Amino acid sequence: MRPRAMSRAILAVPLLAVAAITLLPLWAMIATALQDTTSVRLSVGWEDVDLGNVIELFTRFGFGPALLTSIVVTLLACLMNIVVCSLAAYGFSIHRFRGSETLFWAYLATMMIPTQVTIIPLLLIMRELHLTGTYFSLAVPAVGAFGVFLIRQFSASLPYEVFEAARLDGAGPLQTFRHIYLPLVRPALGSLTIFTFISVWNDFLWPLVSLSDNTLQTVTLAAAMLPGRFTTDFGLVMAGAAVSMGVPVLAYLALQKQFLRGIAVTGSQR
Amino acid sequence: MAFATSRSLRRAPENGARCTARARRRNGHPLLGLGLIAPSFVILVLVAVAPIAYAVYLSFTNYSILGGGRFTGVDNYERIAGDPSFWAALRNTLVFTLVTVPTQTALALLIAAVLARVFRPAFRRIVQSALFLPAIVAAVTAGTIWRVMLATDGGTVNELLTALGLPDVDWLGQTTTAGLSVCIVIVWKNVGYFLVIYQAAVLSVPEEQYEAASLDGAGGWRSFRHITLPALRPVTFLVLVLGTIWSFQTFDLVYTLTGGGPGTATSTLVYLVYTTGLEQLDMGYASAIAFVLLLVILCFAVIQRRIVSGGER
Repeated sequence: MRPRAMSRAILAVPLLAVAAITLLPLWAMIATALQDTTSVRLSVGWEDVDLGNVIELFTRFGFGPALLTSIVVTLLACLMNIVVCSLAAYGFSIHRFRGSETLFWAYLATMMIPTQVTIIPLLLIMRELHLTGTYFSLAVPAVGAFGVFLIRQFSASLPYEVFEAARLDGAGPLQTFRHIYLPLVRPALGSLTIFTFISVWNDFLWPLVSLSDNTLQTVTLAAAMLPGRFTTDFGLVMAGAAVSMGVPVLAYLALQKQFLRGIAVTGSQR
Repeated sequence: MAFATSRSLRRAPENGARCTARARRRNGHPLLGLGLIAPSFVILVLVAVAPIAYAVYLSFTNYSILGGGRFTGVDNYERIAGDPSFWAALRNTLVFTLVTVPTQTALALLIAAVLARVFRPAFRRIVQSALFLPAIVAAVTAGTIWRVMLATDGGTVNELLTALGLPDVDWLGQTTTAGLSVCIVIVWKNVGYFLVIYQAAVLSVPEEQYEAASLDGAGGWRSFRHITLPALRPVTFLVLVLGTIWSFQTFDLVYTLTGGGPGTATSTLVYLVYTTGLEQLDMGYASAIAFVLLLVILCFAVIQRRIVSGGER
């Protein structure tokens, strides 16, 4: 064996072991979810498969409406983020006004503040506005300065002549936005959609806090609230985990390239 | 993200040079600009600016949903100083950060470098996809899965230990192992994310540098130390900053994995804010704790920014 092939073979073993250990809990989740069991299983044969856990989620624990809520809220958050942030980024990069740079700095400063710190006042404000328990209130905290920052930084690399040419061709500023700016920043919009999707779908603290006094729930919240913290109904708990992560995992498997590029971009965006 | 900000802003003048001020005056409509920004401004005030101002105010009151709201000066902050559950939560948060951030950074860096330098794209993709999957799993769900994995009665980890002839461990029931469990889950969840960031960066290091090094007789380890590591320095800082910020926000996985226990062994600052403000409804005091958390995060951000700008000079 040539030295390169040798070192490859030697290094492949620990790497594959790490990959296997990483996937083990997810595999155990699926194997356990599909069986009527009180202990974690690592193997599942066709004859053991029992969809009782999954059926129970939908019949007893409201996973149907919860899934629907998660889908609506996530779509709403992505849509709001794209519209609101691309408009603002267009304003910040093309239609500047006195103080717009300072304002942009203020936007960036808000990115430093984690939502966990402001969760209590946010809850009190939403209550005061009678917005708690609405799709809007679940989606809106995802809209922030990050999207504006992402799109504006992306559009900073665009040639300004394009916008000049559009003006000379008689395009109005809103036409320019729709037909030139938006198509050009599409990759940034893609990354923003993926980040928003994952963070809203997986959010736990805000739904937990703001949905405490009514029946609406997201699927991530519903899965976390399944009984089993002090019991050993492992099959049911693992089924809840599997169903709640189904949509993001399928989205990832379908759009792997876009997911990985979106994340790599944050790494090279500095 | 804090770090991401400073550099990109430094890039801005370059763009400003291309589109002259005159061109901007001809093309830009300042009034329209205000209108374009208005929707995002309103939302930002609603979800960030007003809450932070309100948090500061609340932290000086004894407000609770049940009543109160009297201005109490710095009482809450004095109470924090003498509150053992605060110090426990702060200590746990710091310990989790100091254990997980270096571990996950080193692992991600090492795996990325080996994958990129030694393996073909197909193998690379397999390992990367496997390691990235936990990054998509909600932290709260990760806590649930691992609570089951680490359970004493029928949990996978203990069954594997038994199969190896080793004694069972009550992972989540003892102070040290419960903390260790939280760290394991954090690392499990984060390594793949940072691996993706590192992988892209390693692959962008020019191949010629490695060729020149190997002509000079440098082996794998030496070219890692002298080429890969320095080239990845900016990315490493990003990974450290992101990892630190995330670690300070740890709540979800503790909620389902350990419930902060045993006792206060795995309680974190955000967990304490939650139990104080939303279970005991002591919102004034919880806001003060949240505010201290914010100050800790800002301190870390400033220190890291210092190190970064020092490192780049």
